[in-house]
Amino acid sequence: MLRAPLHRALSLPNLRQLSPAFRNLSTTSAQLEKIEVFVDDKPVMVEPGTTVLQAAAMVGVEIPRFCYHERLAVAGNCRMCLVEVEKSPKPVAACAMPVMKGWRIKTNSDMTKKAREGVMEFLLVNHPLDCPICDQGGECDLQDQSMAFGSDRSRFTDIQFDGKRAVEDKDVGPLIKTVMTRCIHCTRCIRFASEVAGVDDLGTTGRGSDMQVGTYVEKMFLSELSGNVIDLCPVGALTNKPFAFTARPWETRKTESVDVLDALGSNIVVSTRTGEVLRILPRLNEEINEEWLSDKSRFACDGLKRQRLVAPMVKNEKGELVSCEWEDALVSVAKAMLRAGEQTAAVAGGLADAESLVALKDLLNRLGGEALCTEHTFPQDGSGTDLRSSYLLNNKIAGIEEADLILLIGTNPRFEAPLLNARIRKTYIHKECDVALLGPKVDLTYDYEHLGDDTATLKKLASGQHPFNKKLSAAKNPMIILGGQQFGRQDAAAILAAVQQLSQSLSSALNNKEWKILNILQQVASQVAALDIGYKPGVSEIRENPPKVLFLLGADEGTITRADLPKDCFVVYIGHHGDQGASMADAILPGATYTEKQGTFVNTEGRTQQTQVAVTPPGMARVDWKIIRALSEVVGTPLPYDDLNAVRQRLTEVAPNLTRYGSAEDANYFAQATELSKSVKTQLASTPLDVKLKELQDFFMTDAISRASPTMAKCVQAVLKQKSSKY
Amino acid sequence: MASRILSRSAISIFKNVSKAGRQTTAPFSVGAVRRDILDEELKKKEAPLVTVDSGTHPHQAGVTITVSGKEYLAPVTGIPEEQVKTRLVRIFKPTRNTMQSGSANTHHWEMEFDGRERWENPLMGWSSTADPLSNMKVPFASEEEAIAFCEKNGWQWYIEQPKPTKSKVKNYGINFAWNKRTRTSTK
Amino acid sequence: MATGKAASVVTRQVRPILSLSHNEARMRALALYKAWYRQIPHTVNENDFPKSVKQCRQKLREEFMKHKDVKDVRVIDMLIIKGQMELQETATKWKQSMHIMAYWKDTVNKKPTDFYSKFLEGKD
Repeated sequence: MLRAPLHRALSLPNLRQLSPAFRNLSTTSAQLEKIEVFVDDKPVMVEPGTTVLQAAAMVGVEIPRFCYHERLAVAGNCRMCLVEVEKSPKPVAACAMPVMKGWRIKTNSDMTKKAREGVMEFLLVNHPLDCPICDQGGECDLQDQSMAFGSDRSRFTDIQFDGKRAVEDKDVGPLIKTVMTRCIHCTRCIRFASEVAGVDDLGTTGRGSDMQVGTYVEKMFLSELSGNVIDLCPVGALTNKPFAFTARPWETRKTESVDVLDALGSNIVVSTRTGEVLRILPRLNEEINEEWLSDKSRFACDGLKRQRLVAPMVKNEKGELVSCEWEDALVSVAKAMLRAGEQTAAVAGGLADAESLVALKDLLNRLGGEALCTEHTFPQDGSGTDLRSSYLLNNKIAGIEEADLILLIGTNPRFEAPLLNARIRKTYIHKECDVALLGPKVDLTYDYEHLGDDTATLKKLASGQHPFNKKLSAAKNPMIILGGQQFGRQDAAAILAAVQQLSQSLSSALNNKEWKILNILQQVASQVAALDIGYKPGVSEIRENPPKVLFLLGADEGTITRADLPKDCFVVYIGHHGDQGASMADAILPGATYTEKQGTFVNTEGRTQQTQVAVTPPGMARVDWKIIRALSEVVGTPLPYDDLNAVRQRLTEVAPNLTRYGSAEDANYFAQATELSKSVKTQLASTPLDVKLKELQDFFMTDAISRASPTMAKCVQAVLKQKSSKY
Repeated sequence: MASRILSRSAISIFKNVSKAGRQTTAPFSVGAVRRDILDEELKKKEAPLVTVDSGTHPHQAGVTITVSGKEYLAPVTGIPEEQVKTRLVRIFKPTRNTMQSGSANTHHWEMEFDGRERWENPLMGWSSTADPLSNMKVPFASEEEAIAFCEKNGWQWYIEQPKPTKSKVKNYGINFAWNKRTRTSTK
Repeated sequence: MATGKAASVVTRQVRPILSLSHNEARMRALALYKAWYRQIPHTVNENDFPKSVKQCRQKLREEFMKHKDVKDVRVIDMLIIKGQMELQETATKWKQSMHIMAYWKDTVNKKPTDFYSKFLEGKD
């Protein structure tokens, strides 16, 4: 039965044809007749090829396991999942064995119990008894399963007094703490590294009781997804280094929230205790991050309590920022606003929530100000931001798995959106999807066809004269991902127009009319919501008409500097970290980070999600939209919303999709956008396409929170050190 | 039951008070009353003096009455009004801890209140809160039960639907396929 | 915010607490009100607290009017039982004058109600 799928693959003559055939396997197998098996005498109908472990899970029987993981390849080496199958002389490994018709699986029989107890006994003989000082304690699979399935007494006696097996600890970087003596050789970390992260660094050496998991030579685990091996490790061999000895899992309060450090909006669980964010874990969401989390989102949480703005500040006559009471700060900002009148402008940064974005826009509009911009640009020629489908990742993140050819233009998804890259890699491996890249040659962890970084190539592609066009038009579900960073270029409009024309010409030839081709990968969490609300992308308008009062809503990228503004311009910074924006401000109104407010964020695929309050803003900091609402009262035009519900009603008025939490609204105006793009006059410049984040060390510090995080700084140093080493 | 006993004692106390020669307040009963006596009493221009009929307490007699409309118990639950009107409940299914492989504690629905201020206590450095409902996590068998509970108590609520998981066909053999990308090189 | 399905509004048969009909519950409420009304002069007379009969009766009315919109017969019954308990505790002096004064909440600091003062105080 193991041979069946392989056999089918072999019967195909040609390797190219293999990929569609294999892709259809799951759909055809759904039509195949289901077979009946019995788990503890409960009948269940399963698809052929289902493993014993999956069949048992369908009737709610959980078979213990260490090496098996849903999202990794089957290894079958821990033997914890041994179960008895009637008429089988030996117990079978449930995780690797496909069920056969009429099998009677006994997950609670004497043989099964004995097998489990035996495996557990061997594991524990070679496992140190250091649970009291182990960071995994409380959420350790070995603890749980030895309680549930292990023997109730030990036969282990160290008669020679030579101690248990011990293994030297490895140093794999500043994020993962290793205590290799605790390792039970499940190889989950090895499989994760080679399958998901695409970094073939981990492996085993030696055999029997000399076996060790490690990196062969002492080196750092150079991956942007390395933190996930901490979750995967069923014991305390790999634990969270910054979190080491900080808290027990049962002491922490867990808040289900959403990450905002990249544009994907990964689902997270924030663990807090005594008003401090201690660690961040991923939360399962098949549509976005599956079960993974990038290292920046996971470990930058110590930046949440450093460099914080805790009190309102206003510049005194000497030009120094002095902390003051809220009322004083609000009054001085209001005075400047009333003096400036219409000449007020605002720049929204990448971490702003939709509530504060809409409140700030309402406030400025009431005073006559119209210049509300985002830090990241988007070409205004052609359809601009009027058509939602022009700035979204239209295929959705999960949609990548259906693509059979992906063309990346001017982006390095590995560092711009690590989990999107993990999806592409998953599709590359399991669905034989091919990838091509137009842009600087970077390591994407999988093989791709490099089309160069020349804009002339893009022109050729758009006009259909490039050799790669053949592949594109042959593909059933082609997908083009355009990096949002390219919109910062002078010829952004021309690039977007070229990509729009290319994807429109492809989609008209597609059989599947529902399939969209054009996808934009945004850079920051706030961009889509800001564009939905009606912010203008890019700060060029502010440069052209310098305002008298400028609001920086968490704008820390330095897109506007003091040099761009007139001397008498009053800069107000609303945000949470003392970063670039705060350093040029005349007044600082301290806001809340994403773990401190219930805020709405729209990710790059247009999915609306909300963060939850995990801790209270420090000091005198307040939730951002409330600051703006309070300011509006001092200015004399109070905004008509007093609580979160009312702000969200306002959001619904502006754009109804902003309050449909969890869902991503489809947008489909490609034809119209392409029509309008033909009017674009801009010509493609000859400068090659470039991306900011090329190497791993560029990935860690990209926003106000991660720049304030000491762990992220350590990561950068460790990566640089590793890169200079000869291994 | 308790009310009946109480009303009896209340009445007896009232009687004692009246014996003491003070002008008595109108005795009042909340027990089951005999309708004929009640009607009789209500004709007087005084508060009715009614006696408890021990035999036919409606609560025990198997009588039922018809009620319609939403069940709304906020006036009698004793929860302060401000904690009823200003709170928002999130109804959700807890997610699995990604650090563990077991799925226990994820098969029920739960309710949780919006986060309120916590601060460090200046005396001991412990974490304090003024929110009496911050630790109230109630498990429910279904989302309907959770909704009904919130409506009954007058809290606003919203549901966060659990994220569905897809199971996929697992195959040990693909580790060793020589012409597919799933082939594993490291062990 | 509270979107999605609401609890279904159905008519159902339930066991009564005291009253079998809304009218009966109303009678009980009126009777309780009268009982309180007549008790108030004695309470003011016998206890040393700085409120007049008029003020007490105003408070009495206030307390009753708080629940004027309650429709469920059983909830009315529960409120009547609670009110009767209060009455008994007051009449028998199980409640002392400060307990009676608690109806006025004189010593409770008023929380800010408008947005701006709530913002400055930093409380939700």
